[in-house]
Amino acid sequence: MAKYILKRVLRAFITLFFIITILFILLQHMPIEGYFENFDKVSPAEIQVKLTSLGLTDPLPKQLARFYKDLFHGDLGTSNIYRMGVDNLTIIAEKVPVSMRIGLISLALSLLMGFALGIWMAYSTRTTFKIGERLGTLLIVIVQAIPSAVYYILIQFMGSQYLKMPMLFKEDNPISYILPIFSLSIGSAAYYAMWLRRYMVDEANRDYVKLARAKGVADSTISRRHVFRNAVIPMVQYIPGSILGTLVGSLYVESLYSIPGMGGLLVTAIKRHDNTLIRALVVIFAVISILGLLFGDILMAIVDPRISLVKKEGSR
Amino acid sequence: MKENVILSFEDLDIRFSLRGQVLNAIRGVSLDVYRGESLAIVGESGSGKSVFTKSAIGLLDANGTIAGGHIWYNDKDLVTFRTEKEWLTIRGKEIAMVMQDPMTSLNPLIPVGDQILEAVVLHQGLRGAAAKRAAVEALRAVGIQEPERRYKQYPHEFSGGMRQRVVIAIAIACRPKILICDEPTTALDVTIQAQILDLIKELQQKLELTTIYITHDLGVVANVADRIAVMYAGDFVEVGRCEEVFYDPRHPYTWALLSSLPQLGVKGENLYSIRGTPPNLFYAVKGDAFAPRNPWALKIDYLKRPPYFQVSETHKARTWLLDPRAPKVDPPEHIRQLREKGGGRYA
Repeated sequence: MAKYILKRVLRAFITLFFIITILFILLQHMPIEGYFENFDKVSPAEIQVKLTSLGLTDPLPKQLARFYKDLFHGDLGTSNIYRMGVDNLTIIAEKVPVSMRIGLISLALSLLMGFALGIWMAYSTRTTFKIGERLGTLLIVIVQAIPSAVYYILIQFMGSQYLKMPMLFKEDNPISYILPIFSLSIGSAAYYAMWLRRYMVDEANRDYVKLARAKGVADSTISRRHVFRNAVIPMVQYIPGSILGTLVGSLYVESLYSIPGMGGLLVTAIKRHDNTLIRALVVIFAVISILGLLFGDILMAIVDPRISLVKKEGSR
Repeated sequence: MKENVILSFEDLDIRFSLRGQVLNAIRGVSLDVYRGESLAIVGESGSGKSVFTKSAIGLLDANGTIAGGHIWYNDKDLVTFRTEKEWLTIRGKEIAMVMQDPMTSLNPLIPVGDQILEAVVLHQGLRGAAAKRAAVEALRAVGIQEPERRYKQYPHEFSGGMRQRVVIAIAIACRPKILICDEPTTALDVTIQAQILDLIKELQQKLELTTIYITHDLGVVANVADRIAVMYAGDFVEVGRCEEVFYDPRHPYTWALLSSLPQLGVKGENLYSIRGTPPNLFYAVKGDAFAPRNPWALKIDYLKRPPYFQVSETHKARTWLLDPRAPKVDPPEHIRQLREKGGGRYA
């Protein structure tokens, strides 16, 4: 297992190297106008001074080497436009906790709602009127078919209009968390419900369920001990990624409720040509997705005895 | 109910609703299963043998209903059972089942020992360490080496034959009176088949089980069965002791079935096959269901369902050919040879 993880981590570094290098080269080819607020009014000499101070006049390999040296020391550079002279990590560290707090709560809520709905739907496929199935499908179709931006606004409007909830986020007002969290969780809840229902219905038709019934196990016990457990396992893989993903925040919900989170940071940084900040963010996001996949695979190997990350002697 | 009868089906009628139509899968069938015997139900795919036995543990598919008749077990009519609670007094506890495909009949994510434990806890009333010991014993009883170590392993660490042994261990851990084996060897290769059949036979004697085999493999039947019930289109056309059915078959369908046994064929000749297809059970069957495929069919076979004619005390067949007024017909060559093999004792 340790060997496997080490191998995966090494491979992750190679992936990161490619991502960062390509990004670096791409950013160098951006028009230099972006580095100035009012390019037309700046004299060529001033332009030269600024570009030199940003280190952009050095040859590309030299810039790249400098960047990697800093990265190796854990230095992700300082912002040079967004918040001039402030350490990128400081900027990010201020925003991550806000996004993460909201993200984790909404992840928990979406798992709770999604699993409850999924179980209800799977259960109701065996009843006469299939009420849970029909209502659940309706919700899933609505959530999937309507662009999230539309129902986000609807939730904000309805919540603030009829439930008198605050329209904007305030860190010290717990009630103001409700609408953004609900907005964030409803989409993934529908998604979880859809997959859980599907896996549960699949599992419920398997032979081992028939055998369990034949040996006299009660249906409710079968649902719990056999069907639900086995249905959740293929979904477990995505949980670590989802948890880490909360660091990234949500662009739209955060801007809708003016939450000072990570959501809009990358877009802002790109818009304003803050190359060091862009790089810092991309490095972090790439690490997050690579770790998410790795943890997902490790978790699968832990919960599913059929999966072994280590090649066994003499196995196929 | 007669003293030695453990399970009795009486005029059982089972229907399925499929795509808005009604399929009459089991058409008014009666059968007594005797205590301690080994009964084989044979018939081609779709003849209804699985459905028939599944009705005794309440595991018909959701679209199937028992439209009439009775299933008597211990003076209780299982047909009247409506709730899961009632069925849980039968399933596993009284009647256990071994299913066809051992590759899929175990939960892949639970150690095999725990799957046996489930049955032990439910039916032997044991808990904790004692229950675990009983589960290990069940593994040992079905001939699995090092049961303590194997207990913790998952199904994918077992071969097909070994998994079927585990399934059998689960069944016997229920301490049932009746064991239904639904094509227990179909999914296994030939060398393993014999081992599994021997195991079931051995356990049957040791635990005084009544076993019901469902199979389309007459070779299996010859090895294990005391009695044979031949099913065709949702009805038993011939029931008798194993030797009687093998050496003195009376129903043309049984003739056809035996004639198509590869063991009876002559090398170089084409294997016998039954012409035509079984009747469509979406429509009511008139007369003898086998008549359209039966070269010896009489006019009455198309009009009136034959009753059972007793051939001996233990042997009966549902064909008009046994009516005293029917013309004498010669069974096909293969069957005559079988009769001679049986030394005419059963004829």
